[in-house]
Amino acid sequence: MHTSDSEDFESADEGHGSPEKKERKKRLSSSNYSDNALETDQQPQEPKPSATAVKNIAKETDGWDDFDIDDNEPIAPPPTKAKVTDSKKEVEQKPTNVKADQKSQVPCWDEFDDWGQDDTVSTQRTEPPKPVQNKQSAQPDPNIKEVTDRLAAASTGASGGWGGWGWSVDSLLSTATAGISNITSQVSQGISTVLETGIGAPDPEELARSSVKANEAKAPVPAPISAEDGDKLQGRQGSSPEAGANAGDAAFPFGSLFSGVSKFVETTGTKVISGGLDTLETIGKKTMEVLQDGDPGLAKKRALLGLGAGDKPVLSQVLREAKAKADEDDRVREEKREAKEVHYENLFDDFEGLVHLEALEMLSKQISMRIEERMRSVDADKRQDIKETLQQVAELCEMPEEEEDDDEPPSEGVSKADAFHERLQTATQDLGLKLQFQPLVKQYTDILTYISGSPDTTVKGIYKRAVSGLAQATALSVEQYHKAAEMLLVKTRRSTADEADALTQMTVVLTKHISELATLFTEKLNGLPSDNTEQVNTYITNIFLEAGNSSTYIQNAFQLALPILQIGAV
Amino acid sequence: MAYAYLFKYIIIGDTGVGKSCLLLQFTDKRFQPVHDLTIGVEFGARMITIDGKQIKLQIWDTAGQEAFRSITRSYYRGAAGALLVYDITRRDTFNHLTTWLEDARQHSNSNMVIMLIGNKSDLESRREVKKEEGEAFAREHGLVFMETSAKTAANVEEAFINTAKEIYEKIQEGVFDINNEANGIKIGPQHSTAGGAAGAGGAGAGGAAGGGCC
Repeated sequence: MHTSDSEDFESADEGHGSPEKKERKKRLSSSNYSDNALETDQQPQEPKPSATAVKNIAKETDGWDDFDIDDNEPIAPPPTKAKVTDSKKEVEQKPTNVKADQKSQVPCWDEFDDWGQDDTVSTQRTEPPKPVQNKQSAQPDPNIKEVTDRLAAASTGASGGWGGWGWSVDSLLSTATAGISNITSQVSQGISTVLETGIGAPDPEELARSSVKANEAKAPVPAPISAEDGDKLQGRQGSSPEAGANAGDAAFPFGSLFSGVSKFVETTGTKVISGGLDTLETIGKKTMEVLQDGDPGLAKKRALLGLGAGDKPVLSQVLREAKAKADEDDRVREEKREAKEVHYENLFDDFEGLVHLEALEMLSKQISMRIEERMRSVDADKRQDIKETLQQVAELCEMPEEEEDDDEPPSEGVSKADAFHERLQTATQDLGLKLQFQPLVKQYTDILTYISGSPDTTVKGIYKRAVSGLAQATALSVEQYHKAAEMLLVKTRRSTADEADALTQMTVVLTKHISELATLFTEKLNGLPSDNTEQVNTYITNIFLEAGNSSTYIQNAFQLALPILQIGAV
Repeated sequence: MAYAYLFKYIIIGDTGVGKSCLLLQFTDKRFQPVHDLTIGVEFGARMITIDGKQIKLQIWDTAGQEAFRSITRSYYRGAAGALLVYDITRRDTFNHLTTWLEDARQHSNSNMVIMLIGNKSDLESRREVKKEEGEAFAREHGLVFMETSAKTAANVEEAFINTAKEIYEKIQEGVFDINNEANGIKIGPQHSTAGGAAGAGGAGAGGAAGGGCC
């Protein structure tokens, strides 16, 4: 009912007469996703008095009747998502403090709308005076508390004029006030909606229809139930919104809109029970009518519900939408996969760099503890000696200042990879260990082959290869420190100074190797004709960034190996 | 690869019992008769699925040589599972189990799931340790027991996966505090960014559809 009210309202406000049925029909069609989306976007942040406020509500309810469609249309989720977000946004825009889950109230309204149309037993009685009266009190103030106050004020005014309706407005009002104070925010939302829509501009026709509805519904109602019961039952309203809507509908024509509000609170529960099955049955029938109204948008529902199965174009549309969704999902997944593919840390982990680093760290801690133990077990003089020795070893392991940048140009007839291998071996010859540099050399060879002539000439492809190449080179380097540390620990004769020097040299070679790799890839990228220089520049920046990252990892690994060098000297 | 959990395993046992071969069979599904001596620790990883959840097993394959003992001990910490391996054709490897077990219990967390494995079950003719002996040892020390062959792959999958299942059950029972990485369990990368991206995509599509309609 809220919906129908507000929609009629809107129409009335804008000067449309009763032939709004078609208009409403149109709104009911599936296309109103877009309507809503659009409306929401255009909607001003701050709801303005009267007309705008009313409009606001109309929009809000728009969101609701969509929900009905959403409910039955699981295969078209993008609009659904948009919808949900929209209605949430609307709630936030309204300062009503209503954080309710509106969904529960949603589904019924539009059915009512049409329902009303069918029962066009006209009644003129509720018509004339209200619009004026109500509009005055409708100064939009969505705060519930104030709404309640306003309700009180308005009803005093109203009771004079409408005393003849046979309902004690005042008593109803007090019920309403009491009710409002303790019902859930969800119901509050409903009330404020009723109130505002009702107050803003009641549509005579709608009122007439509503009253008929009410009379119908009134019949099976046995006795008024206590407000407390009503409140309790409000909870149930969430789960059976149709009944709740009906109750609200029924309450509407009772004397005044205000009493309608209060009755909405009170009678909802009653109707749920007493109206019960009859009401639900009627609703069900009407729902089916609406659903099968030949509306092209709703036809999808039938297909989904199995009611109009075999409806070919609809089925194909459903399938098309399902496919579109699947495609979208695939695209998102692919993007995520790609993002992961060029994620340096993930790649470093995949190449076992992280686990080698972790193991090296464990070893490093263990050895540090052993050194501390040894220091504790000796007297002060010896301890000072040990401290000095440790310090000396640490100094040996300090990275040299950027020395001879290009030591010796690769000699003739020696490939870059072999030269790299040679440098590594030269650096570590005093280490006294047999480190396996082949994986590093092989990786370098692969990269050189790739750079010198690979079929993959896309900017993105090169970028990916660059990040992965850097991550792998770093992982392999870290592994060298881990292995060196393990082997040093089982080495029988230690020569700490040589070892420290060798590892320092190795670090120099490896960090240089990393920048060499970065340069190779960025040169390749720069040499590529590209229409998107900005993208290329971003990639190049990233490659140098990751190269810096790599060097940090390598130097950290070297530092972790320090205690292993130190323990050889103490 | 995205995973729900990561379990850290260690493989321990005397040198030459086939620890690295078990790992290779499990991760690469192949057997390499001649294997370099493991230095310190080597790593392997494989994804498995338990209860519909992707679990990454990160396996630390330790050196069995006595010389590396003190090093490998520092790797026990933070393991959720251990495969304690002996060679059914070499009784001494079985006899050393007690030492290995003490070591493992001393240097790892008390909840670590330990699976006892009698490897080389394909070499029945050279068997020196009866299956019943292995079972009895396992029973006595509260271990799970299995005879495997890294060569034929018999029971290799089962050994790794059953251990994972046991760890998983312990997580479900709340025995393992999964937030404490010292237990050898890490929670996989969360999908928060994934959800956000999907939501944004959906909304974007909705907006586009709306534009078309109007």
